Amino acid sequence: MADLALDGAPKERSTIEKVWGKVVGISRRSPTSIIGFVIILFFGFLALLAPLLMPYDPIAANPNLILSGPSAAHWFGTDGNGMDVFSRVIFGSRFAFGIAIPVVIIALSIGIPIGLYSGYKGGNIDEAIMRVVDAFRVFPSIILALAVVAAAGPSLLNVVLVIGILDAPIFVRVVRAEVLALRSSSFVESGLIVGNPTWRILFVHLLPNAIQGAMAQTAVRAAWAVRISATLAFLGIGIQPPTPEWGAMIRQGAEFMVNGQWWVGIFPGVALILMVLGFNMFGDGLQDLLDPKRRSGGK
Amino acid sequence: MSLLQVRDLHTHFISRNLDNEIRVAKALNGVSFEVSRGEVLGLVGETGAGKSLTAYSVMDLLKPPAKVVGGTVEFDGRNLRDLEAEDMNKLRGSEIAMVVQNPRSSLDPLTRVGEQLIRVHTAHTDTSESAARARAIEKLGAVGIPAPEQRMRAWPHELSGGMAQRVLIAMALMNEPKLIIADEPTTGLDVTVQAQILDLLRELVVTHNVAAMVITHDLGIVAHYCNRMAVMFAGRIVETGDVETVFDNPSHPYTRTLIASTPERLKEGKQKVLGGGAPPNLYNLPPGCHYVERCRFADESCNKPLSLDQVGDGHFAMCTRLDAVREGWPS
Amino acid sequence: MLMRRLVLAIPLLIGILFFTFMLIRLGGQDPVGLLAGPTATTEEIEIVRAELGLDKPLFTQFWLFLGDVVQGDIGKSWISNRSVTLDILERIPITLELLLWGVALGSVIGVPVGLRAAFRHDKWFDHISRGISLLGFSIPTYFLALLLLFVFFFLLGWSPPGMGRISLLISPPPTVTGSYLIDGLLAGDLEVARSAVAQLILPIIAVAIISAAPIVKHTRAIALEIISSDFVRFARASGLPSEKVSRIVLKNSSTPVTTFIGTELTGLVGSVSLIEFVFAWGGVGQYGLNAIIRGDFAAVQGYVLFLALFSLVVFIIVDLLVLVLEPRAVAE
Repeated sequence: MADLALDGAPKERSTIEKVWGKVVGISRRSPTSIIGFVIILFFGFLALLAPLLMPYDPIAANPNLILSGPSAAHWFGTDGNGMDVFSRVIFGSRFAFGIAIPVVIIALSIGIPIGLYSGYKGGNIDEAIMRVVDAFRVFPSIILALAVVAAAGPSLLNVVLVIGILDAPIFVRVVRAEVLALRSSSFVESGLIVGNPTWRILFVHLLPNAIQGAMAQTAVRAAWAVRISATLAFLGIGIQPPTPEWGAMIRQGAEFMVNGQWWVGIFPGVALILMVLGFNMFGDGLQDLLDPKRRSGGK
Repeated sequence: MSLLQVRDLHTHFISRNLDNEIRVAKALNGVSFEVSRGEVLGLVGETGAGKSLTAYSVMDLLKPPAKVVGGTVEFDGRNLRDLEAEDMNKLRGSEIAMVVQNPRSSLDPLTRVGEQLIRVHTAHTDTSESAARARAIEKLGAVGIPAPEQRMRAWPHELSGGMAQRVLIAMALMNEPKLIIADEPTTGLDVTVQAQILDLLRELVVTHNVAAMVITHDLGIVAHYCNRMAVMFAGRIVETGDVETVFDNPSHPYTRTLIASTPERLKEGKQKVLGGGAPPNLYNLPPGCHYVERCRFADESCNKPLSLDQVGDGHFAMCTRLDAVREGWPS
Repeated sequence: MLMRRLVLAIPLLIGILFFTFMLIRLGGQDPVGLLAGPTATTEEIEIVRAELGLDKPLFTQFWLFLGDVVQGDIGKSWISNRSVTLDILERIPITLELLLWGVALGSVIGVPVGLRAAFRHDKWFDHISRGISLLGFSIPTYFLALLLLFVFFFLLGWSPPGMGRISLLISPPPTVTGSYLIDGLLAGDLEVARSAVAQLILPIIAVAIISAAPIVKHTRAIALEIISSDFVRFARASGLPSEKVSRIVLKNSSTPVTTFIGTELTGLVGSVSLIEFVFAWGGVGQYGLNAIIRGDFAAVQGYVLFLALFSLVVFIIVDLLVLVLEPRAVAE
């Protein structure tokens, strides 16, 4: 549609103005998404450039410098093994992304097909799938993840797989709801009349239209994955100290915290909060932008 | 002297898109009409023409990004646009009452019908609870609800659509309003119930000497129940006059299309407004007549600013091609 | 609705039991070793093996397991060397005390904030409360608990150390309800009650903060939806004063908000477990987490079952509450 100023006259914009306009426009509609995005970018930058940014080897223990407080040489101090907390916190961002990204991909690749199929088929199959999805809600997700990881054997791969699988029901529900709304629309029917196989209707016709809701959830699910994997590590299931993972570092720092050596646990904790907050803010904004029902305004 | 006089009302939706550009949807572009006591004005037009928006603009019930940006609303000697928010709120539900679409969902689901009637009255007057209760029972009776005392204790979900609409009308009557605005009051109701509700409204206009404005997309309703009509298109009144006059001598090509597209209108009384073509883009309206893109009589004169011109006794139309329309329309 | 819920609960429970049953057997580890624990002697292992009937087909094993569970026998914890059922039953009031106080406080804070945010939609209060609630969503439960201990115990010295439900120097009151606070008051022992309160404050605050974030978010969403409903619009069009319109919004929000807080309880048991873990609270949550961490699988089964039954009971209570609050539900 035409680009209108108040007086109704079209006005020309340069490319820079357009890009800047987009930034301002999005941040006006959803300031949280921009802040969240900046935080994620910041941690992405840390994770990518970790080897360049870390002043020390994150797992090199210095027995002469155990539990020394923040100083010019060790900005975040050293931990109980004499390892540099600053370097460890930076390296921890790699674990966070390394878990969050595959978890969301696993959850999407399980949740979307099931959601598409369930919503499209309806009937008993749909009912059965939804009962199973509901059953997941009976348990707190953290406990379910803990119990299954512990039973399956606590390896990093298991952590990622289990969290990914446990997160799939969210996407099943979102995609199914969108498919239900789309099922009777004309483009699905026309696809059927032409004689397309089911998979083609699901993935070629329905998926592109149903995927928005799922996409809106991804950032929030990434936040959840980062949080829950750190919780597992905090409880000593999965990643073990002295691996420079934030949850494991908080576990290590917990015992020192009440004795006053706060830096061991606080810094990784703050990093964890910030990153989860970044994903959550971005996700919150994403939901606002992608889900028209959540948009404010109008009559 | 009319009770409500709306002059040149402009309402815009002003928002910013994701590119941070200000977007203005000109939803009302100079709406002018009037209503007097004892008469029913039918405001008719297609979806998106701005009928309900006109009502909400008059009532000062718009929510951002919608905003009245120009015009006057004179009601009973006062310009409503000058009123303080609080005074305006006192007017709503007392001097101007509304009857809305979806009556069942418009009643508070957790409050008994009687309480809802009573609170509308006590909110605007100093009446005692018991006097308000007696009045509520009386009004429920007046709108033809059997056993009103029992109905007072009913929950909204226990009412049928037609019954709920009667309750809304009773509620409108609680404070003896001067004007009743009925926004699509019978959409979604059975045909027989529709007729009952509209008969009731019309009867009340006479017995209570109020003014009424019925918003509808149904020309049949206008023909049956209204004294005067105003045809809306893209945020403007394009033709207005007595119902008989307009039906006998439609002047605006849009009015003509509407009437022509409802051939059995007088028999059926339920034909919806048809008339081909998409509504114009409110973000980018043509400079002159808004109907220009759909009108087969359009020429360059239609791009000039235009006004509601008198075409007969109390009959006005907004068209520069009146003669061409009159001659060129197949009868 | 209530009957439907109960009927649906039976297959759900069987499914959950099947899940916990399979959890151990699919883990790729010897279930006998897991259930008997690392300290078990060869004889004990043989007894467990016979009890489980591991030589029988899987379906028969599950059937036997179901039979045991119905009789309240979930097995024996190798950590406590006691019946898991007893272990859990005795810890339920301990966890409930923390959970209910915490969620009550979280609701007292969260509901008004959420409502106000909805009434001030898109104003600064809305934005700020949304930011804070996002922060609440993002802070890991155990880290919050640690932070509270660090600030209020170590830095300020206002709080006792997070070691249990009562000062180590005070002997617990005789058990009546299982809550040291209530039992202390019942016994007329104010010192016990005071110590119990001091120990309760920080964990309760932690639960309150964790529960308040989603309560704010959902209360706001619920109220916003009601504010834009036909009947609120009509109430405005009827010229009701804004306090009355607000009251209509409040009244109509009460059922969905109550339902939400109820269902949130079921998810919060997880967070409460972590808080118990940090504060050495000794309730079902800590018991369950310890069982998971140390591989006490009979206890894990019991814990998982407890969570499922707890959710079920909460859902039923919520349904009953709705019945009280909603005239429409009664009609149906």
